[in-house]
Amino acid sequence: MVRVWDLPTRLFHWALALAFAGEWLTRDASRLDVHEFLGYAIGGLILFRLAWGFVGTRWARFASFPLSASAAWYYVRGMLARRPEHHVGHNPAGSWAIYLLLTLAALQVVTGIVALGAEQRLGPLAAMPTFELGDAAHTAHLVLAYAMLAVVVVHVAGVVVGSLLERQNLVRSMLTGAKHASGTDGVEARRGVAGVMIALLAVSTFAWFAAGRADARAQRAIAALSLPLDPVWQSECSGCHIAYHPSLLPARSWRRTFAVQHDHFGEDLDLPAAKSRQLEGYAMRNAADALQSPVAWKIAHSVPASAAPLRVSETPYWRERHERVDPAVFKRVHASDCGACHRDADNASFSALAIHVAGGASAPRKGK
Amino acid sequence: MIPSKLLASCALVLLGLCSAALAGAAPVDDLLRQYQSQGAGPFSAAAGEKFWELTNTHAGEPRRCALCHSSNLSATGKHAVTGKAIKPLAPSANPERLTDTEKIEKWLERNCKWTLGRSCTPQEKGDVLVMIRSR
Repeated sequence: MVRVWDLPTRLFHWALALAFAGEWLTRDASRLDVHEFLGYAIGGLILFRLAWGFVGTRWARFASFPLSASAAWYYVRGMLARRPEHHVGHNPAGSWAIYLLLTLAALQVVTGIVALGAEQRLGPLAAMPTFELGDAAHTAHLVLAYAMLAVVVVHVAGVVVGSLLERQNLVRSMLTGAKHASGTDGVEARRGVAGVMIALLAVSTFAWFAAGRADARAQRAIAALSLPLDPVWQSECSGCHIAYHPSLLPARSWRRTFAVQHDHFGEDLDLPAAKSRQLEGYAMRNAADALQSPVAWKIAHSVPASAAPLRVSETPYWRERHERVDPAVFKRVHASDCGACHRDADNASFSALAIHVAGGASAPRKGK
Repeated sequence: MIPSKLLASCALVLLGLCSAALAGAAPVDDLLRQYQSQGAGPFSAAAGEKFWELTNTHAGEPRRCALCHSSNLSATGKHAVTGKAIKPLAPSANPERLTDTEKIEKWLERNCKWTLGRSCTPQEKGDVLVMIRSR
């Protein structure tokens, strides 16, 4: 057995695999802080791998595993015929997995940063005000995540089949670095570079999760997303439920709300005419259609033009965002009580960093 | 010059506090006089208490004042539908209560309709206000 994979390459591989798994586990908005950190870590790992592809040891260099469709097809056919070609470094099918995963992961970092900036006012693009681009980036982020998962599944299946056919444990090779090869194929371990990688990962993890950092960051994000609320609206609308910010429903919904105020969910609001006009005017000017916040943008674009829902929880966007919340939460908490889980509900900011699911369940997930 | 200015400011602050206190005491009396002019009275806290616990079936469900506001007026209530906390009604527990005529009228009207399906009579409103004020 000869060392084929240097230590930094192996470290990169397993760090990326762990980070990818972590990203799936933290895909709920309520865990955005960890999700974002892992995203930056993946970005750093990709940059390292790109550099290592040029300056790393022999089998880590891109030159040793060129991207070739015909070579990959030839290799796969050999596998199917149960006589795989032996490759010291990456085989031609594995090369495809590597380039695809690097590309997809890089795209995930980019789309993640765009969505994060536009929708949450977080990260390097926090000043970016284009909700439209943020929405497109978020959608792409979701689609690409599944594409990446599919490539990972094929990659793992290829490794398992390849290990059986080649009669050598390729997973263990990626851990120890050793494969069947001649002595002249061996490479250096490059422990120094690996040490720097570990130090950088440790320092950035420590800095990110430092005490108080998350709170201060959440405060800034909430402040950047906050919308002011008219004091008359606040006092008139907060008797039975939180005073929903007008940006949470389209103007046509507010028009309908005031039109049916004598049967407002079983209550007769019976507002004095002048006050009713004043409040309705305020609602119309600040409705979701005014697109004053990322949430307003999402709601305005989710409600069909033919619909005028009276409840925020009837909008398609609200439903989509809450479908993974454990139904038990809504047995404890009425849907009108946004503040039970969204600590910033009064500001209409609805930052992902302000979510804490009522009743202690940390993850809003079904069947848990 | 400065001390006299200071004195004047203190006097103004005191005046503000006193008028606020007076305004805080007046709304219920004003309303009771108004109900009397509509032929109601005398008012009793005992009648108000009885009315408070009266269960009425409206919109297919049993409803009463205490459902949301609790039987203990010093306790925090809970909205029957949304579950939102309702601050205590007893002025001893929540000094903001019974200080704003418009607010008292608005909620008596809205909540009588929800509970009974009709507006309350001046007699019922007077009894309940006297009862709440005594808590």
